[in-house]
Amino acid sequence: MKKTKLLFLALLVLLPTLLFAQQRQVKGKVNDETGAGIPDANVSLKGTAITVKTDGGGNFTITIPEGTKSVQLVISHVSYPEQTINVSGNEVSVTLQRVSQQMDEVVVIGYGTQKRRNVTGAVSSFDARKLEERPVLRVDQALVGQMAGVRVKQTTGTPGKGFSIQVRGSGSISGGNEPLYVIDGFPLTQNSSNTATGSFSTGNPLDNINPSDIESIEVLKDAAAAAIYGSRGANGVVIITTKHGQSGKAKISFNVYGGFNETAKKLEMMNGQQWIDHATEVINATYVTQFKTVGALATDDMATRLSRTGGNNPNYIPDPRWTMPGHPGLRFIDWQDEIERKGQIQNYEISASGGNDAVRYFLSANYGYQQGFVIKTDYKSYSLRANVEINASKKLKFGINIAPTYSISQDPGVEGKDQIFHQALSLAPVQEDTVGLLPNTGKNFEYLWSSSTNSPYGKLIYNVGTNKRYRTLGTFFGELQIIKGLSLKSSVNFDNVDNIGTTYVPYITTGRAQQVMNASGVVTAGPSNTRIFTGANNLLSATSGTYRSYRRQTFVNENTLTYNTVFKNDHSITLLAGYAYNWDRFDQAALTSSGGYNSATIQTLNAAAAVTGNTTSTQSVFISYFGRLQYGYKDKYLLLASLRRDGSSRFGVNDQFALFPAVSLGWVASEEDFMKNISVLSHLKLRVSYGESGNDNLGNDYASLATIGNANYVFGSTPATGIGQAPNVLANPDLKWEKSKTYDFGLDFGILKNRITGSFDYYNKLNTDLLLNVQVPAATGFTSYLSNIGSVRNIGQELEITSRNTVGKIQWITSVNVTHNTNKIEALAPGQNQIIIPNGFTVSDAILRVGAPINSIYVLKVLGFLTAKDIADNVPRYGPGEQPGDFKFQDINGDGTITEADKQIVGHPNPDWTYGITNTVRYKGFDLSVLVQGQAGGSIFSQFGRSITRPGQGRSDNHPASFVNRWYSETNQGEGRFSKAFSTFNTPITSATDWLYSSDYIRVRNITLGYNLRNVIKTKVLQNARVYVTLENYIGHDKYTNGLNPEATNTGISTNAAYPEAGDYGAMPLSKSLIFGLNITF
Amino acid sequence: MLASSCEKKLDQVPISSATTPTFYAQPSDFIQAVNAAYNSLRGYPDRLMELSEVRSDNIYPSNNDVGRDHDPINNFSPGIAPNVYVEEGWRSDYSGIFKANTVLEQLAKNAGFVGSTILANRLAAEAKFLRAFFYFDLVKYYGKVPVVDHTVSAAEANTIPRSSVAEVYALIISDLQFAIANLPLNFSGAYPYYGPTDIGRATKYAAEATLALVYMTRSGPTYGIEGAGMGLNEWNLALPLLQDIITNGGFVFNPAQYAFPVPATGIFSYSNQNPSTNKEAIFDVLYLTQANSGLGATYPWALVPQDFFNTYGNPSTSGALGAPSVSSNLVNSYPAGDKRLSPTIHTTQYGSSLYPFFRKYLDTTKVPSTNSRFDWAINFIVIRYTDILMLKAECILHGAPGTQADVDAIVNQVRARAGLTPVANVTLAQLFDERRREFAGEGSRWFDLQRSGNLVTIMNAWRAVEDAALHKMNPIIEKQIIYPVPQSQLDAAPGLYTQNLGY
Repeated sequence: MKKTKLLFLALLVLLPTLLFAQQRQVKGKVNDETGAGIPDANVSLKGTAITVKTDGGGNFTITIPEGTKSVQLVISHVSYPEQTINVSGNEVSVTLQRVSQQMDEVVVIGYGTQKRRNVTGAVSSFDARKLEERPVLRVDQALVGQMAGVRVKQTTGTPGKGFSIQVRGSGSISGGNEPLYVIDGFPLTQNSSNTATGSFSTGNPLDNINPSDIESIEVLKDAAAAAIYGSRGANGVVIITTKHGQSGKAKISFNVYGGFNETAKKLEMMNGQQWIDHATEVINATYVTQFKTVGALATDDMATRLSRTGGNNPNYIPDPRWTMPGHPGLRFIDWQDEIERKGQIQNYEISASGGNDAVRYFLSANYGYQQGFVIKTDYKSYSLRANVEINASKKLKFGINIAPTYSISQDPGVEGKDQIFHQALSLAPVQEDTVGLLPNTGKNFEYLWSSSTNSPYGKLIYNVGTNKRYRTLGTFFGELQIIKGLSLKSSVNFDNVDNIGTTYVPYITTGRAQQVMNASGVVTAGPSNTRIFTGANNLLSATSGTYRSYRRQTFVNENTLTYNTVFKNDHSITLLAGYAYNWDRFDQAALTSSGGYNSATIQTLNAAAAVTGNTTSTQSVFISYFGRLQYGYKDKYLLLASLRRDGSSRFGVNDQFALFPAVSLGWVASEEDFMKNISVLSHLKLRVSYGESGNDNLGNDYASLATIGNANYVFGSTPATGIGQAPNVLANPDLKWEKSKTYDFGLDFGILKNRITGSFDYYNKLNTDLLLNVQVPAATGFTSYLSNIGSVRNIGQELEITSRNTVGKIQWITSVNVTHNTNKIEALAPGQNQIIIPNGFTVSDAILRVGAPINSIYVLKVLGFLTAKDIADNVPRYGPGEQPGDFKFQDINGDGTITEADKQIVGHPNPDWTYGITNTVRYKGFDLSVLVQGQAGGSIFSQFGRSITRPGQGRSDNHPASFVNRWYSETNQGEGRFSKAFSTFNTPITSATDWLYSSDYIRVRNITLGYNLRNVIKTKVLQNARVYVTLENYIGHDKYTNGLNPEATNTGISTNAAYPEAGDYGAMPLSKSLIFGLNITF
Repeated sequence: MLASSCEKKLDQVPISSATTPTFYAQPSDFIQAVNAAYNSLRGYPDRLMELSEVRSDNIYPSNNDVGRDHDPINNFSPGIAPNVYVEEGWRSDYSGIFKANTVLEQLAKNAGFVGSTILANRLAAEAKFLRAFFYFDLVKYYGKVPVVDHTVSAAEANTIPRSSVAEVYALIISDLQFAIANLPLNFSGAYPYYGPTDIGRATKYAAEATLALVYMTRSGPTYGIEGAGMGLNEWNLALPLLQDIITNGGFVFNPAQYAFPVPATGIFSYSNQNPSTNKEAIFDVLYLTQANSGLGATYPWALVPQDFFNTYGNPSTSGALGAPSVSSNLVNSYPAGDKRLSPTIHTTQYGSSLYPFFRKYLDTTKVPSTNSRFDWAINFIVIRYTDILMLKAECILHGAPGTQADVDAIVNQVRARAGLTPVANVTLAQLFDERRREFAGEGSRWFDLQRSGNLVTIMNAWRAVEDAALHKMNPIIEKQIIYPVPQSQLDAAPGLYTQNLGY
């Protein structure tokens, strides 16, 4: 030992002379996979202290002393695994590969980091550098299909709207199922009010976050990993780390992309002629049914019909122009085509990062613009970020992250029940030529044989819906090293979201201008035209506007003490203790016009005849104490234990605090001597963990208290509202968190020198103490109260594999993730076996039943169509209105009649399988990446499907083109899905498997082809110049044949907020886009 | 130190709503608390339509009405425990009882904030009147119910079983006696008594009328079930209360001629809604039609078919309704020349349908436009003067003080208004027949049948004729005179309540 040191010293003293005399220089360049130089990489000569750093372009020159027998260079960089190469010549090029599953990668685990090798919980990582290489508008968009156990649902095609993320299935019935998001250590407020409609009406935590600012994303999936976030960890934790500056030369990047997007799916509806055929069939049948006693025949001409019916009813008399050649005076319209377009996309970004020993910085600015593929919809975003770190002294560090952002979105109300998109599909494709695309709009009348819908095209043109959001995220922190290994970190964080939403609906797109048919069959203006000014009725009274704003503020102070030590070389210990204070406030204001407007040009509410308004606020406080122990013996035996004590103002006074413990163990088996001989297996780690975490995400800050609400009555000789006030909830002082207990068994492996790496996890997650509205005796004055009862279990398997199929000139990497999850309600309230979720539009279609998955689809099963023989045999029917050609349902209780009691569970909304496959190939300067993603095993019960294909719908609405293959007769039953056009079985409409669809889909989510221009442009200034073209969402297949997006949620189906059920009632399709981009780095 | 002071911040108070511990601090708060208890009256008329009128021989399950929630009520299906109307009655009445109990509790707890003893007594009397009113409603529909005379937690409610009918009546009678002693007589007083803006609140006469009906209901036969009738003989307790209303109440038998459309001064006229001028009304449920007030009446359309509204160009905004048809037996029970038939029952074709329906509360010129059919501006007369008179006649026929001449005079007064010739020696059966025609569509028929003692006989005889063709009805048995305990109540506290026999 001493000897070598002496020798080493001698060498150092002699070095200059040696260098002068017999030095040999090796020049080289360190590249990343794209060929871009990596600055600040350490290059050292193995076995010596000789070390140099690469410059901004990744270049280095290292001097090799004479007599060095074999030159081995060790290249290391904080972001890459270490690599050793043999050098024979004087020039060398090294490519460092950052592979997401690499063992030495640093993983952020919440209040600290860990090497991937040492992680004992279930943590998935996402290398966010990919975000630069691909045009993504939102962070959540980038996560689609990337990680096992993380299901990212794109529930809407509206630009700028949030995605829904579920980690390891749904564990809560009434509370939120979205994970906790932590940005640079700042836990953002969870928003659970999304659950009712699935549309994030009061914001999504990832709103306005610029994806390009992100360095890495980790998802803590099991309770052992997430328990450090205690009562907010039950739905998983998404940890987002933004980019930070590195010491060295300034690096300046430009990212620009542009292209267009259009609809990814068009639902073919019946065309004009098909609609006419259908309407004629319905009219003839209605006429014959109604007037059969007076001898009506389907072949009767108009004059006969007029005389038989007493004239003037379009229900009995078809438009004579339908049968005329060229149908003069009518226009056939494909409404989808008319409201859609190719929308343009553009995005510009500049960032600068760099620093020295004292200051490091990352600055960025971004502007993005996306036109929706539906006309008049778009999304603009502006964002800035500054992440700065200062070393005040060797022991004291300060930092500030600040990101002001602003976004504007335009959406006049496209998605949801009876919203523009729904109406565009439903509205008759035949209209009067004279009004074209604007029936029942402005002075235009509606077409007599169509419906009273105002033109959806007109609504897009004239209605306004604007949402403006200003958000600032800021973090300030200080870190003090007290003694070696012991450091104190304090941070203050503030998130402020100001959102203003305005809507404006002019009278021209409301109300009706009816046509009527007179006794001689002539169509004239009808009695009701709400848009004609007569002096008495001010047409502006139908104009309306709203102004809604909210401000969401979150303040978090966190203080942690970390002690890190290694003793006797083999024992590594990290101890963490912390305290956090969390304050949330939500203020909202709503102003609504009342009684119309006084001006047709002014849209703001000063022009409203009167304004009504209100404001409300809620606030909550959250206090936490937490600690964690990480212990490793020889990096072989690993232990992590954590404990968190959380207190929340949201819960009952008797249960304000709760403890959340977790422990996990890891065994790196491949480090054992007996394993070292197995050369195939380069890494094997077994993990086991148990942890408890909570869910406090119930959307109401005061759920445990008996709040007072209005219960008004009428009093007085002149009747007037008498304000009445009474408690509107039954207090529950014992109200507390939902608890999640997770067992996780995991396996991390590397095969063939880590050419193939991966991990497998099995989890069993039991969520108990669910916040459920439990039925109580009405003698309390209430029917239910919020209580902690019931449980849901999710069991799943996750597999992630990354394989570097080829290395060298062609680098081909395949990453696969597959998740299987089953979800089951274990218990509801004592003695309660099921809760049928009430439906606001029709009879119920979903159920919470012990033993079945959450929100199982619970409907009548359609067996086929009734025949005349069935009627004669008196087969079970849903009321006597059912006739041949109507649905034949399964009589499951065998009572000889079909009622709501014959419903059965026919599916569940969550998929059993989700998967994502990414293939990346690099060759010379080219890179190609293909992401395929999908799901299987789930179902969607479509309210939208019901609205466009239900029986007995009448003549005016349009139907899918496949409706042409409906039931015509017992010998021509069409494709078997749709019953006859004219049916008197139209009330009541039940929920049946007729509107059940598989939600399986597979999508080629992304194809990106890039080329690095540095191979062409030889200049030292330019570190990187990549051009690329991306196809986003271009190819795909789903089984939602009469809908547009199998993952859509846009309408609250349930009428009980305690059992939310969000469904599709008029979703837009997703968009597909073609985008060209350029990344330049100086 | 820092931590513990922070922990105090966990006790957050709602910013935008009051809570039970913070709300009751001013006289107006207690008045608002009582107003909230009145709010539970709003569904009372609808319940009468769905659970009394539909259950009785006034309504027949027509061919055009299948799968509606009132269908099984109508045809005497045994499986009606989860029926929405059965559920609604229990839930809604207990909600009112809870609000009344809240008032009484807060009056006791925060007496210092009420301002005056007079106001405190008035409010307590109003709360007790309402509590008795809701319990009486419960006992009539369900028989035995749990008695709660204070607000209870979920845990406590789980320990309170159904009390006997006698125990329920004990609370009802003591509450009404307190109300009679403490409620203002009319609306011409000065605060804290009732002024004109207080019209709609319960008066002494409303309490007397209710108590009289309580005694009379108790005096009805038991039918061998634990229902509202106890077989007592309390007709002579009821009569003085009725007589006090007749003598001192200042109410007037409205002589306005029956006609359709209803004349402006008619009892059910939209323009005769002010209880201070409509002297027929002893106690009203008040409604107000106004855009988005949510205080309009819904009961007028409850038994009216969708097709009828369609003929007025004002179709439903939320689904179509079937037509629970008025029974031909009722239509035919009106003698020729009875002026009540036309304004009570619509018998002519509308659209393509011809199912008779009640139109007593409909004025086709008043079909609400803003909120479709859910926002009518017509009050519901809970207790009307004609009823008081006829109840008096009933008491006399049961042996309370009075003469046959008194009875005949009352019945002939009613008949004269209907344009019918006088009758003599009116029997109980004739009195009930006259009641049926007079109060058709007002929700009293089912309870009248019970009190008459002939419910099962009359209903089955009627069913045999009316239902001869369609066979939609089950036989009517004694046990189904009261409704089942709603399924939700059995589910909420398994084992606590025993289901009524017959379900």
